[in-house]
Amino acid sequence: MKNEKILKVKGLETSFFTHLGEVKAVRNVSFDIYKGEVVGLVGESGSGKSITCMSIMKLLQHPGKIKNGEVIFKGEDLVTKSSKEMRKIQGDEISMIFQDPMTALNPVYTIGNQMVEVIRAHKKISKKEAEQTALKMLEAVGIPDPAKRMKNYPNEFSGGMRQRAIIAMALSCEPELLIADEPTTALDVTIQAQILDLLKDLRTKLDTSIIFITHDLGVIAELCDRVIVMYGGMVMEEASVIDLFSEPKNPYTIGLLKSVPNPDILIKQKLIPIPGSPPDMLNPPKGCAFCKRCEYAMEICLEEVPELYEVTKRHKSRCHLYHPDAPEVVRKQVM
Amino acid sequence: MWEPINKDLLGGAQETRKSLTYWQDVWRRLRQNIMAMTGLIMIITIALLAVFGPMFSGFTYSEQNTALANIAPNIELTSIGDGDYVFVHNDYKLINATSEGELLGAPEIIEDNKTAKFILYNINGKEVKFDYSIAQKARTKGSKVTETNSDMKTKYDIYVDGQLIDKYDVQSIWNKTYLLGTDNLGRDVWTRVLYGARISLTVGLVASVVNLFIGVLYGGIAGYEGGKVDNIMMRIVDIINSVPLLLIVILLMVVIEPGLQTIILTIGLVYWVGMARLVRGQVLSLKEQEFVLAARALGVSKAKIVIKHLIPNAIGPIVVSMMMSIPSAIFTEAFLSFIGLGVSAPEASWGTLANDALGGIRSYPYQLIVPSVAIALTMFAFNFLGDGLRDALDPRLRK
Amino acid sequence: MSNLLEVQDLKKYFTKTSGLLKKTEQHVKAVDNVSFTVAHGETLGLVGESGCGKSTTGRTILKLYQPTSGKIVFDGVDITNFTEKQMLPYRKKMQMIFQDPYASLNGRMTISDIIGEAIDTHKVATSAKDRDDMIANLLERVGLMKDHASRYPHEFSGGQRQRIGIARALAVNPEFIICDEPISALDVSIQAQVVNMLEEIQRKTGVGYLFIAHDLSMVKHISNRIGVMYLGQLVEIGDRDKVYSNPEHPYTKALLSAIPIPDPQSEKSKSRIVLQGDVPSPLNPPSGCHFRTRCQYCMKICKEVEPVLQTLEDNHQVACHLFS
Repeated sequence: MKNEKILKVKGLETSFFTHLGEVKAVRNVSFDIYKGEVVGLVGESGSGKSITCMSIMKLLQHPGKIKNGEVIFKGEDLVTKSSKEMRKIQGDEISMIFQDPMTALNPVYTIGNQMVEVIRAHKKISKKEAEQTALKMLEAVGIPDPAKRMKNYPNEFSGGMRQRAIIAMALSCEPELLIADEPTTALDVTIQAQILDLLKDLRTKLDTSIIFITHDLGVIAELCDRVIVMYGGMVMEEASVIDLFSEPKNPYTIGLLKSVPNPDILIKQKLIPIPGSPPDMLNPPKGCAFCKRCEYAMEICLEEVPELYEVTKRHKSRCHLYHPDAPEVVRKQVM
Repeated sequence: MWEPINKDLLGGAQETRKSLTYWQDVWRRLRQNIMAMTGLIMIITIALLAVFGPMFSGFTYSEQNTALANIAPNIELTSIGDGDYVFVHNDYKLINATSEGELLGAPEIIEDNKTAKFILYNINGKEVKFDYSIAQKARTKGSKVTETNSDMKTKYDIYVDGQLIDKYDVQSIWNKTYLLGTDNLGRDVWTRVLYGARISLTVGLVASVVNLFIGVLYGGIAGYEGGKVDNIMMRIVDIINSVPLLLIVILLMVVIEPGLQTIILTIGLVYWVGMARLVRGQVLSLKEQEFVLAARALGVSKAKIVIKHLIPNAIGPIVVSMMMSIPSAIFTEAFLSFIGLGVSAPEASWGTLANDALGGIRSYPYQLIVPSVAIALTMFAFNFLGDGLRDALDPRLRK
Repeated sequence: MSNLLEVQDLKKYFTKTSGLLKKTEQHVKAVDNVSFTVAHGETLGLVGESGCGKSTTGRTILKLYQPTSGKIVFDGVDITNFTEKQMLPYRKKMQMIFQDPYASLNGRMTISDIIGEAIDTHKVATSAKDRDDMIANLLERVGLMKDHASRYPHEFSGGQRQRIGIARALAVNPEFIICDEPISALDVSIQAQVVNMLEEIQRKTGVGYLFIAHDLSMVKHISNRIGVMYLGQLVEIGDRDKVYSNPEHPYTKALLSAIPIPDPQSEKSKSRIVLQGDVPSPLNPPSGCHFRTRCQYCMKICKEVEPVLQTLEDNHQVACHLFS
């Protein structure tokens, strides 16, 4: 991992202004992405992980709005950019792939057509050259007989093949950053394994940074270098993948890890679920978003949002237990 | 501050969020739509006027007064002194009126001399001579009918007790007795338009009710049963749909005499077809939903599944389609009445009113304008509301 | 343990007509020759990728689809050709929990109507008060509160909705529940709640489950025995530990190795069999063994002869020519 920072998100706040009131989907989110690393963004539905990335790409739909914060990409703040300026960056320097490969492609154009369109929108090259690039990309993502497949329509592709084609399209302009929003959730396990293999292969070849959004801890463990855990619109924990799974530092992450079975362990495990359900972001709790479901909740958790404490080097956790005044005993017991 | 909190005080982890029910949400969105609300207010106004209006208009729809036929809503009064006013009718006669524009009726005639072309009236003891002999002079020149020589003003003189009065000294005033004037038989147009609204709204209501019952049930059964049953039922629909509306009306009139019943029967026979198709489509997609499978797995009967599960979930499109079918039914009725296949005299519908007015369209255009505006406003109102409802009920717009 | 459910050579073909006059017929062999049993109080997990026919199997057992051929024996009674009327008492014994907590509850009915429908259809309650008590009791059993009964489904979260679906299934005190991917639409932290609850219910009532899922780790957690399906056929079935620790069928091996494990260290050391290609279309499955197009051990015989389930040891059955 090189130490060149390519994206810096600082104090990002995104809200949806609905008729019922303001839904604070993303609350004060900050993180950095370095060149060539794969960062997993993990969280449950409604945790704000997708909205964070939509905010980075400025793809928010009405009534969503970025309220505050900065998204610094290559020294420039994307938040202040106009949609025309953003269009140059979208698909060229930052690409995004979505969950459902069935709806992400336009069914009335051939795969090749759609790829050439994307490439020529960002690069001043001839149609022929664009076709050459498309062909190369399709080959790189492991589509057999790409010259023939380019002339096919999306409905002639299976789900896994479509996701490959979408990845090829997203990478065709050699973006610096790829945002993948649950790209394997809609796929079967064996196809998921193929796509994960492909992404691992591509990152070594292309040196692209990837933000990988998922709710599947297994996928995170397999693919990512670093993990950001989100809950209730906030970053709860940030650590390297090894640290996060071996020594989780936040009660939410700990709870999450205890509630999924590990199929490699032969004896029957007892699953310990996290009680309750995620908070309603229309009226988010005043204090820590997780406090109502947290085993170790203290009185302060109800009142104040905890800071993101740097527990060890490069391992941050948002929990009052890391406050210097917090009871040592409980902290030890948790970790 | 650092004490663990008592979980029991937190009020349980099983929270639900209170939110709007389906119809509350629809109503909220509909309220924001100004056009739809305008439509709704217009429909309510029209309905109230149709129901209660004729009671307060002071006339019945069939009450004739030939002496006061063809009087426009806006009249010109000529003063004949002593606070008496007359309205000069295009049919070469005088009508007594008050200064407020209330019509008092035809004055007493002393002499009607058709050879010398004058009428002598007795109005409150004054002898008023209405001399229209100059109308003849204007015509005999053989010139074309122009703006100036066709003006009524050029065709008569009025003498009060032998004195010529200034016929150009007139005041324009709204007709207070007949708000929208009278037709060629001296019937109050306002009352007849209100009465027409009753017929139009009845037809609209019947169309929507028929739509609702026959269309929804038919489509529901066809969609839920599927297979052969669906195939046969939908072919029947195709056949009904392919016979022109006019042909059905004409054929029906061989059996029953024309009138409101015929129109209602026709609309009843034809209008549910679109609804049946729509409901079938909805049911086809809904019946594969898991809540229907769950009901089937419980052994809930077919009828209950259709009525309790499928139709309530298709209610959005059903309401929109119903709303949209009302104006088209109203228009169909007006059209059929207009071409003489609808209600018969002396009943009034907007279509027959428009048809009756056609004869005098040059002299009395208000008789055509009034029912036309009524049709147009009603159609607008229902279409605005229908459009608004479609937007409000659209599941894609629900969050 | 006696057998609660016995499925023998179950087939469900969907006919697809096309062409002018609908003359050309094609069969989608959604379920093709599937046989298994479920004992009282046992959980049989059924796994496979999308389109392998596992959900169709579940729905056909409940006769939501009429089977093309084969036999479904429930509690010793052959219900394969029962009419809807004859099925009614069996609908009380067999229930289903659905995948999508949003689509499986009718949004226009209150929770008490939804659960009450089950009670009314089978006339379980003796009075209106009895009915209300039953609903309250059921809601408490699935961890909801009794005053939730008057609410509408959209006021609940996904996990809570799934609990309502479970309460509906439990309302008739079934002996057997088909769980059709009950957790795949739920958040990770909620999945464990639902799975633990299903286990708890089984401990208390002795209900048998057919647990259909594509999440292999959860299936492993909850099941006693596991069946693996591929393109409408059962390729391997056996005790949970046997199938997981000692998978015999090449497809099962690949499927198991494809599960991402929430542990980066073992993840890095693990060798993975990545299957090439996609699942063939069930409209036109490969001849012989359906898996042969993606199988690394494909032999000549696989192309010609369809393998049948063979018993290896301890009820571990595999349909593969490698074992003949």
